[in-house]
Amino acid sequence: MRPNATAAALACLGIAAAALPLVAGDYFIGVGLSLLMYVALTQSWTVLSGLTGYVSLGHVVFYGLGGYVAALCWGELPLAAIVPLAGLAALALAVLIGLPVLRVRGPYFVILTFGVAELAKHLVIAIEGQLGRFSRVLFAAPGLETLFYILLALAAAATALTAVVRASRFGRGLLALRENEEAAETVGIPTVRFKLLAFGLSALIPGMVGSVMVLRSTYFEPQQLFDPVISFSIVTMAVVGGSDDVKGPLLGAAGFVLLSELLWASAPQIYMILLGLLLVVFVVFMPDGLARRLFPQRHGGPA
Amino acid sequence: MTLLAVERVGKSFGGIQALRDVSFEVEADAIVGIMGANGAGKTTLFSLVAGHERPSAGEIVFDGCRLRGLRPHEICRLGVARTFQIVRPFGGLTVEDNVGTAAWFGADPAPSRAAAARRAREVLALVGLAERAHALAETLTLSGQKRLELARAVATGGKLLLLDEIMAGLTPTEVAEMLAIVQRLHAERRLTILIIEHVMKALMQLAQRIIVLHHGELIATGTPAEISANPRVHECYFGGARA
Amino acid sequence: MDTILFGQLSAAALVTGALYALTAVGLNLLYGTMRLLNVAHGDLVMIGAYVAFWAFSLLALSPLVSLLGAAALAALFGAALYYGLLRRMFDGSRAARRLEANSLLLFFGISVIVQNAAALQFSATPRAFQYLDEVYRFGNVAITGNRIAAFAIAVLLCFGILAFLRFHVVGLAIKALIQRRDAAAIVGVNIERVQLLTVCLGFATAAVAGSLVSMTEQISPFMGFPFTIAAFVVIILGGLGNVTGGIAAAFLLGALETFGVALTSSAYRSILIYGVFVLILIVRPQGLLGGRRIAQ
Repeated sequence: MRPNATAAALACLGIAAAALPLVAGDYFIGVGLSLLMYVALTQSWTVLSGLTGYVSLGHVVFYGLGGYVAALCWGELPLAAIVPLAGLAALALAVLIGLPVLRVRGPYFVILTFGVAELAKHLVIAIEGQLGRFSRVLFAAPGLETLFYILLALAAAATALTAVVRASRFGRGLLALRENEEAAETVGIPTVRFKLLAFGLSALIPGMVGSVMVLRSTYFEPQQLFDPVISFSIVTMAVVGGSDDVKGPLLGAAGFVLLSELLWASAPQIYMILLGLLLVVFVVFMPDGLARRLFPQRHGGPA
Repeated sequence: MTLLAVERVGKSFGGIQALRDVSFEVEADAIVGIMGANGAGKTTLFSLVAGHERPSAGEIVFDGCRLRGLRPHEICRLGVARTFQIVRPFGGLTVEDNVGTAAWFGADPAPSRAAAARRAREVLALVGLAERAHALAETLTLSGQKRLELARAVATGGKLLLLDEIMAGLTPTEVAEMLAIVQRLHAERRLTILIIEHVMKALMQLAQRIIVLHHGELIATGTPAEISANPRVHECYFGGARA
Repeated sequence: MDTILFGQLSAAALVTGALYALTAVGLNLLYGTMRLLNVAHGDLVMIGAYVAFWAFSLLALSPLVSLLGAAALAALFGAALYYGLLRRMFDGSRAARRLEANSLLLFFGISVIVQNAAALQFSATPRAFQYLDEVYRFGNVAITGNRIAAFAIAVLLCFGILAFLRFHVVGLAIKALIQRRDAAAIVGVNIERVQLLTVCLGFATAAVAGSLVSMTEQISPFMGFPFTIAAFVVIILGGLGNVTGGIAAAFLLGALETFGVALTSSAYRSILIYGVFVLILIVRPQGLLGGRRIAQ
């Protein structure tokens, strides 16, 4: 698909999505929320993992931190302040841990990110325990429609972010360092700075998404908000849908939300088994994902 | 005008002294060869100049700037370009994008993606890879990948080119081709070249001056003729005096 | 800390360490020979635990016997996995290289499948059984029979494997593969056969560890995660591919965890384990006893 066609298609999707709350009931708005959530998360994830090759299996940490910040501040600050604050908190975390964490390469980076997310989860549980709280209820949370439109904006922003980064010099630098980090430095790419920037950018929107979703459930519980299944879902969506361009995560997210709606209520284990199976099958047989298969580009396209 | 000055440089890794008290200068527009048995410290020297390692002792000055403490990408920006002994292409990118990336980021960065691509095509034409521009880098043969290494280094726009065994693994025909390419690049782009090479014939033809390293020490320097006749060089490098 | 408590904790640390050592040995061999980070390793422990549980509940079979069955089952699973999926990774093609880079995701997917299949089949309720739980006293230290048995068997197996690697020709082949893969092929090692054996051995030892663990701990479909993390901590601490180092590191971790939890509280066990995990990956990726570097 040529870039203009893609942009037009995305615009149509965006308009259709915006119209959803006007025509559909709460159930479908809920499904829409899940879809938008995963679009926003997966697109943000690809800014780091798709472009640099540093695959994060712990991205839920940013989502969870954003949700935690929102849960702590709800009631004290207005919604318009909480969402950006949550994003900034996630960004701050990324910048804080980025330098040491990004020094680790390959599969070790993958398990490290997983470890960091689990560590954060248990730390939050311990902190809440010390504060005497085991969960928090959020009263007078914003309505479903408000949250929907915020999430739509975040999903759109994440998609736009991915597209802009890919087309930029920064994006090319990331792609080069994915191929060979030492050679990239040799041709003048500031690899450490670029990796950190990508890491930070990939954390910003998930933080905000976390704040929205915690308000949607009106309930903060660390095990839920830092659930590794979310990290795993993001990665699977990216692998199945493809992470080489903007369309991939959209496909992946749509597919999985559909699957989840069909199976989650009745047989969550079957849903998870299918998720695992799809990940395995795609990693082995189609590591570039579906988007590349359905919309083939000539070699060396606009990436 | 001295472009590169290596002053009493030493480098040790743990207990191993890879380089000891090495000093030499490279004039602008010169082609200087570096010779030495395996383990003599040649690639270590390149790593120090390019910034992948820090000297344990001594200074390296390029174009008036001390390179100590600078990261490789900063040294590239100053004008130092290198190739790797074992090629490191950006495999998943096209040949043109490989070189275009260097043009976009290097010492003389192109102002836009299109400008970088244009420069890339120019350099590719010089090394004879123009027809493979849209192939993925990892699909090239060894000879192609070596030329790609070279093209990428040249495209950064740097003044000093560090070539690390660029002829290794090539057939005699390919060596002759590569030799011609390097000579053409030197003439047309006014590059200063520091070249490590084991292929003696090529080195002797190319270099105006040769430095010989042995066990991390600089044991001789001179014109190719002088080096060929040098008995110490024969002892260390060729293993025994010439009859 | 008084001596009674110290003795008690030391005994517990030894048992934990021995079980970690046995679990980690397989992971170390898998990594060493094939560079595979098997994040489903803990789930093999879970499988071994369930085999022991069902063998005991349905057939009144002692875990010390049914562990053979667990080992066989896991080895079979490993062989199937090897022939079905893993072999593709070693044929040298471009697809093979991409797969190696993604092998971690592959194992992660397998882990999710195994855990949820177990949850589907056995329900997520934790289970336990009583076996050999008479208490024996050694001086001031009280310890149950099942813990003594678990310790003894785990230690025996670890030493057995060390001996195998040292003295048996196939063990030597495994070590050769760990050290220099290409050279091993040239000197006549049948790489495929050795890899298959390593997978079966690695999976089997994890399952045996699970059978032993089932005697002393509750089992559930999701019990595997902590073992996976512990095994990774152990192999990285001990040096990747360094089996002896791994065994030493396992006892170190066992001590760290036991005493750490005693000094703080059991709520901090996870924080301790994940904290150590994150820390060693960042700070000293080559481990305490040397091995490959994994960061720049």
